Amino acid sequence: MQSSLQIKNLQLFRQKQLLLSLNEQVNGGEILTIMGPSGSGKSSLLNWITAGLNSHFHAEGEVWLNGKNVNGLPSHLRHIGVLYQDALLFSHLTVGGNIAFAMPKGNKKQRIEKIEQMLETFGLGGMVNRHPDELSGGQQARVALLRMLLSEPKAILLDEPFSKLDAQLRAETRQLVFDTIRNHKLPTIMVTHDHSDAEAANGKVITLNTGQAKC
Amino acid sequence: MNVEPTKTTNIEYKTDLFTRIVKFSPRFLLACLLIPVLAGLIGVVLPAFGWAPALSQYKIGLHGFTALWQTPGLVQMAMLSISTGLISTLLAFIITLMILAAFFNTVWLNYIQRLLSPILVIPHAAAAIAIGFLIAPSGMLSRLVSPWLSGWELSPQGIFPHDAMGISIILVLTLKELPFLLLMALGVLAQPELGKKLRAQHKVALSLGYCPMTAFFKVILPNLYPLLRLPILAVLAYASASVEMPLILGPNTPPTLAVAIMQWFNDVDLNLKIKASAGALLQLAITGGLLMLWLFGEKVVMYFCRDLLTNGEREYSGAFWQKLTSVLITGVIGFILLALVGLLLSSVAGFWRFPSAIPDQLVLSHFQSALTQMAGPVINTLNIGIVSTALAILLTLLCLESEQLRNKSVSRFMSFIIYLPLLVPSIAFLFGLVWLQQLANNLSVFVSVVLTHLLFVLPYVFLSLAGSYRRLDPRFSNVAASLGAKPHKVFLKVKLPQLFAPILIAAALGLAISFGQYLPTLLVGGGRISTITTEAVALANGASRRTSAVYAIMQMVLPLIGFIIAWLLPKFFYKSAHH
Repeated sequence: MQSSLQIKNLQLFRQKQLLLSLNEQVNGGEILTIMGPSGSGKSSLLNWITAGLNSHFHAEGEVWLNGKNVNGLPSHLRHIGVLYQDALLFSHLTVGGNIAFAMPKGNKKQRIEKIEQMLETFGLGGMVNRHPDELSGGQQARVALLRMLLSEPKAILLDEPFSKLDAQLRAETRQLVFDTIRNHKLPTIMVTHDHSDAEAANGKVITLNTGQAKC
Repeated sequence: MNVEPTKTTNIEYKTDLFTRIVKFSPRFLLACLLIPVLAGLIGVVLPAFGWAPALSQYKIGLHGFTALWQTPGLVQMAMLSISTGLISTLLAFIITLMILAAFFNTVWLNYIQRLLSPILVIPHAAAAIAIGFLIAPSGMLSRLVSPWLSGWELSPQGIFPHDAMGISIILVLTLKELPFLLLMALGVLAQPELGKKLRAQHKVALSLGYCPMTAFFKVILPNLYPLLRLPILAVLAYASASVEMPLILGPNTPPTLAVAIMQWFNDVDLNLKIKASAGALLQLAITGGLLMLWLFGEKVVMYFCRDLLTNGEREYSGAFWQKLTSVLITGVIGFILLALVGLLLSSVAGFWRFPSAIPDQLVLSHFQSALTQMAGPVINTLNIGIVSTALAILLTLLCLESEQLRNKSVSRFMSFIIYLPLLVPSIAFLFGLVWLQQLANNLSVFVSVVLTHLLFVLPYVFLSLAGSYRRLDPRFSNVAASLGAKPHKVFLKVKLPQLFAPILIAAALGLAISFGQYLPTLLVGGGRISTITTEAVALANGASRRTSAVYAIMQMVLPLIGFIIAWLLPKFFYKSAHH
């Protein structure tokens, strides 16, 4: 069965005021782009999908993942990976430790081999024992991507993931992230300010105004 | 040929007095903390080896230690100090972690913080008295289960509160240190950058499939623990050498080492003072040993847990631990509330037959008679508290200002020294101070007591104010300076008004700490200055429970008033600013 992330009849409120309503389905490998000014509810939308909506907001509607309603599940059981604008690598762990943290448990030797092999494919060969702070911004972004990918998510959310990278790096990293998403056929929702992100995503774009969703 | 000196066009600028005072203040603060502690330690080492001019003893030798080793039950005393200190610290630490892990990033954490923070300001002696009443054979706990459950018609023979194993001491120490550790941890997490980063990383761990409790232990704790280390060590040092709690709740056959040392020191037999000094050195060694043991344990735990962090295991029956934590915290809060209710009832009870949960008659006579004797101690308590807190606030503000003028925060050495009076068992260096004071003999008792209180008030005031001071937006002072305001004007007119509320809170905390000091007041005051706390401890084991309850309540009310004022004043001022 094809993987999919579905948002059914979402109505998102900030203190009783309707911020946005949405009814969308994203299939595996597709990237739905949500654009809009700050305060339009973009980030709250992502928080709602991961069951982390804060108490000022209130939402009605359902999230379906691969044909199953996941509304009742807490954040950590939803298997939805998120990339933020900061890499948010754990500074008490090495690069390899960060990735091992995300992988399912298993044989220690096989896990280490897999980490080294994946680091190699992402152009991070030999960095397994480095500290995250020693890495450049682009390298950190790639480790974060790899970390999320190896946690075997069923869907991906991108929360302005490239906004802190400079233009050149931005294009490269974006290409890598999008290629990875398409290769793994993961349904993805991206929130962004940047039109070039939306164009590169090459999917449906929804632009939010404050308080109203327009398609 | 003479060469004309080239004329410089530099503008002469002489640093103003304020800036010089401010820049000097950290050294002064260091001196205030280091000199008494070091002098006190020297003053205890010398008599321990027999050199005590105050007693006209000049024979250097080991007879103090010989006498100490020959004390019957010495090993038991030491073991009691070690076990109560270590177990209570471990328990408080573990419960703190469980609460943080179960409720990290939820509103519950704020509720728990609000419920537990008042306990922080209850003096140790008052807490011991209240809990002692609760667990006594005729206390609230046994009244509530009698006779329907226990079958007791008469108050039973019980081992509490003076049980030989020190369980009562462990119980009270744990309850008292738990809120301290929790608030210190929440303080770390309230640091804007670190807190934000850790909350975001916790969210990442959730999105990677980690149960919230596991995420706390694998992601937050490794970053949080290094910043909690000093407070934990301070708790351990205190717990292993505290005097008033074992004095009120501990066994007497034998007591903990710290209590025994104090009894020897206060004995009329002057030779026992040499033994007391030797005992103080043993106490130092025990506390030092415990601190080393903790640091070693840390290394061991870290070594064995390193692989666990990245093994990919996401769930260690989190739901079970979450429920257990909820039950535990409800129990803790219920226990404390019950103790307070019991204390209140005791203070107004007339005749109170055994299994009734409520006194047969309520009277105010205990309050009336106690209050008439209380005026002197209350005035002493307030005087000492206000002077030492005012000094602590002044010194702290100057030091924090110097930090901003120099544009770098205090050195690690300095942040360690601020903790020094909390890490060295006070029973050890206070004796030394008393010896020295008897040698110098030119300071008034009041001044000595105030300066000693300052040692214990300063760390708390500094820790309480430092956060807010460092969070001040520097742009306000930059704007003020660019408008031509001199440094002292920026400090007084721009910074202090913004810090009004935190300064009041720090002052209330300082007062609470000073109000609660038992040993410094008793020893340095030479028994000549009585405060609410010294009276409460003295009464706890002798006089009637009712009077003791009144004193314990008074001990809680005084700091509470301070905090209420600190909470109300800013509201009042802000309100008047709006109109």
